[in-house]
Amino acid sequence: MDKKNTDIFIKKRETLIGQFLSGDEPEFLEKHAFVLDEYFFTVFEKSITARKMTMAGTPFAIIALGGYGRKEHCIHSDIDLLILFEKIVPPEVEAFLQELLYPLWDGRFEVGYAVRNINECLEMAFERFDILTTILDARFICGASLIYTGFMEKFRSDLAAKHLKHTLNYLYEHGEKRHFDFGDSTYLIAPDLKSGFGGLRDYHTLLWYAKIKSGIKTRRDLEYYGFLSHLEYLSLTESLTDIWKIRNFLHSITKRKCDTLYFEYQTELAGLLGYRFKNRQPDVERFLGDLHKRLDFLKQINQIAFEDILGTTRIGKGTIEFRPTKIDGLVIKKRRLHFSNTVAVLQKPDLLLKIFLESGLRKIPLSIEARRIVSEFLHLVDDEIKNNLAFIKIFKKIMSLSYWEFNVLNVMLATGILEKLIPEFSALVNKIQYNHYHLFPVDKHSIRCVQIINSFKDHSGSATKSLYYSVFNEVRNKNILFFTALLHDIGKSDPAKEHSKTGAKIAKPIFERFGFNSTEVKDAVFLIENHLILIKTATRRDISDEETAVYMAHKIGKIRLLRMLYLLTVADSQATGPKAWNEWTENLLKDLFLKTMGIFKKGELASKKSQRLIDKRKKNVIRLLKEKWREDEINTQLESMPKRYLVHVPAQSIAGHIKLYRNLKGKDFIWQISKENNSDIRTVSICGKDKPGFYSKIAGVFFLNNLDIIASQAYSFGEEHVMDIFKVKPPKDRIFEKEKWEKAQEDLVHAINDDHFLDNALDKIPQEIQVSSGKNPKPNTVRIDNEISSFFTIIEVFTYDFPGLLFSITNSLYRSHTNVNVAMVATKVDQVVDVFYVKSLANDAKIESEQELALIKKAILESLPHITAKEMNNEKS
Amino acid sequence: MKKVEAIIKPFKLDDVKEALSEIGIYGMTVTEVNGYGRQKGHKEIYRGAEYVVDFVPKIKVEIVVSDERLDEAVETIRNAANSGKIGDGKIFISPVEQVIRVRTGETGTEAL
Repeated sequence: MDKKNTDIFIKKRETLIGQFLSGDEPEFLEKHAFVLDEYFFTVFEKSITARKMTMAGTPFAIIALGGYGRKEHCIHSDIDLLILFEKIVPPEVEAFLQELLYPLWDGRFEVGYAVRNINECLEMAFERFDILTTILDARFICGASLIYTGFMEKFRSDLAAKHLKHTLNYLYEHGEKRHFDFGDSTYLIAPDLKSGFGGLRDYHTLLWYAKIKSGIKTRRDLEYYGFLSHLEYLSLTESLTDIWKIRNFLHSITKRKCDTLYFEYQTELAGLLGYRFKNRQPDVERFLGDLHKRLDFLKQINQIAFEDILGTTRIGKGTIEFRPTKIDGLVIKKRRLHFSNTVAVLQKPDLLLKIFLESGLRKIPLSIEARRIVSEFLHLVDDEIKNNLAFIKIFKKIMSLSYWEFNVLNVMLATGILEKLIPEFSALVNKIQYNHYHLFPVDKHSIRCVQIINSFKDHSGSATKSLYYSVFNEVRNKNILFFTALLHDIGKSDPAKEHSKTGAKIAKPIFERFGFNSTEVKDAVFLIENHLILIKTATRRDISDEETAVYMAHKIGKIRLLRMLYLLTVADSQATGPKAWNEWTENLLKDLFLKTMGIFKKGELASKKSQRLIDKRKKNVIRLLKEKWREDEINTQLESMPKRYLVHVPAQSIAGHIKLYRNLKGKDFIWQISKENNSDIRTVSICGKDKPGFYSKIAGVFFLNNLDIIASQAYSFGEEHVMDIFKVKPPKDRIFEKEKWEKAQEDLVHAINDDHFLDNALDKIPQEIQVSSGKNPKPNTVRIDNEISSFFTIIEVFTYDFPGLLFSITNSLYRSHTNVNVAMVATKVDQVVDVFYVKSLANDAKIESEQELALIKKAILESLPHITAKEMNNEKS
Repeated sequence: MKKVEAIIKPFKLDDVKEALSEIGIYGMTVTEVNGYGRQKGHKEIYRGAEYVVDFVPKIKVEIVVSDERLDEAVETIRNAANSGKIGDGKIFISPVEQVIRVRTGETGTEAL
């Protein structure tokens, strides 16, 4: 072993790496291979064992394989060697290997080697394809060159004669498997620079194919032999240079052979590669954007290779040709769409778009040549053709044909025609958002969104999928949905914070250009501006609160917009990545959507009319109170009130209630009795803490004090209070009215503190009542509606008026462990329809159990008196 | 040292995070979890089809604090997560034997 030689080699290599890392060595890969070659050459030249073997008639060749063979091996890549003998492998080779390899191993180099004779080597190459591909890249370093050339000749002739089809088949299948195992590098947060789809292996595959097919020697030959066009070759060289550089730096900072660009190294690498913060875009995002462009190009290289392999050999992939296309100017050859000739394109530029439509409809990919033609003839897509309605229609149709397995939009993006149609989209291309949340560049994310919207056409799978399907089918204007999906993030071109707002502004003229009418443009602008509102509300607001859904319904305003917004939100979140979309978020979003939909369908709170009414009331309340309180104070108070209350209660009363509430100050309740003009009725407004049974207790106390309730409403008031309004007939004895009210107030205090205080009052409720209306009085009826509201169980009671009626019903509700949140009680002559919005006391939600509902119904019916008709003679008398 | 695990309503996360950072607790693990508790799931009806939400989405916040800071931390979480309604969640407290910071090897409360 020659330590000096090894030291020289290590030193030279370190100097070279140092020069490369400081940016002074553009030819690093070539020189790196040369330094290694030099080491092997020197060891071979000085080795006595080597000389002995040659003298003894067993000469050998030292051959570089794989990446080292291609002179493309990076700082910590493996060094693969083949020591090749013609026939006999002498035992002395062991000693030689010690001289050759031990110093490298001691220096912690990853060296792989094989010692074989020619026949062994050929046998293994055709048995194991990983060996075969390394031999395709074999390069002679030193020793007996004749052995090397002899072997390579034999290898090539055997390959062409016996193993061609098999080998190509392997290349194809191995490529597919690799893409499956490593994923699409342009869609991964930590792309694999070597093995992923878009990684270096895609270039190797084309190179190997060209070596197998035409025996090319170097990368340069790819153009000379017509595998790539001149421009493609230039782009390939640029892409490889960049990716190799990144890979070398990655090896350098990880101090090992690391080909996965992990998230945590990305910022450091961007700095090392000289990226700087520019145009408000962080260096790392600019670095990743450039990288994605390169990876994207390698993906195209892969498609070229795959297509050529398929074209050369009809392997496994189904040999049936498609039926011919009906589009004049297009042809199908070798399972790919082609333009019949370039003249056709010049004459009919709309073919540039029609080819994508046909591709989407028939699921036939464009040939590489067709892609080249689209890219090179983009100038034909001028303003005149872009404004042509028929042309626009084709584009709209293409949008609905973009699927995951077969995505026409991605091909349109790769050829540049998508940007030609929507120049604003260029700003999104390869735009990276550097975080764990956003997995894809904005352009890919947007296209994925369109894809996902298309996937809603399929309803198989989970129940939620069938919901998307059903909502999607209800969307009348699907073009709006597709276009907003594609353009919802268009505002990200400007790294300002509020991309939704910016996006809406940028998108408006695009929609107008594409011939959408003013309502459609308005819808689209709304959807883009608010595309985050549903997901934000679902994850950050209390969706079990009716007010959240009511707020949402008001904000969105129209059912058709809610439907589109929901689907857009689902697609957007799914297309963002697993951090943004999982079962958890899916459920929250679904819940909010269904609840908001419920508010719309019920109409009571979400209609334009009710919104106008609320706005008017709010203004009036402010006007009434502004002398006493600041406007923002009143506004805050009004915001905390349920919409239902604002719809049903007049401004004058609301102002009174706010005053009442302000005087509550820690007491259990406070009430105010007012006399209505020209009538004998008293209105009692009671503000109190929201305690179970409160409403029932008031009704009981009034009954106990012979105060006859004519009508009543109950509302929640802010987070923790209630506002109950009763219309009551005053006590018969007017002289002591004040005292009577005071007594009632005292009773209510007792009732609140003692749950059984009102038990005696229950006994006074009549067992039977006689009614005179008609011959056959209607029986007591309790109807339960559990569908109309997502938040409450709605109970309607139909009966005849009697003293203690409201107490009787609400007491049953309270004893059945429900809380009355809203009540609307009114008497018409003697017929009564009372409506209660109740929630279970156990979970503060509507009552889902059928059994419980039946029990509640039974309890109410049992509390009501038996109804009988007054006898006719009685009536006459 | 004690580990405090709080299961809270999703929309209360920001409040809890903020309240904890106000008392100087910044590090926490947050997980999206599904609850199957007293607060049952529910069903919604759309176009005649039933959609069941059979679990309740919740957030789990985990922190580890020194024994002295336990009461303060628990009280802070409780106040921030409280809406006075059913389903506000639960807080679990358990002893922690040891904490080691991977980078420096520091142990005990120093590693918190």
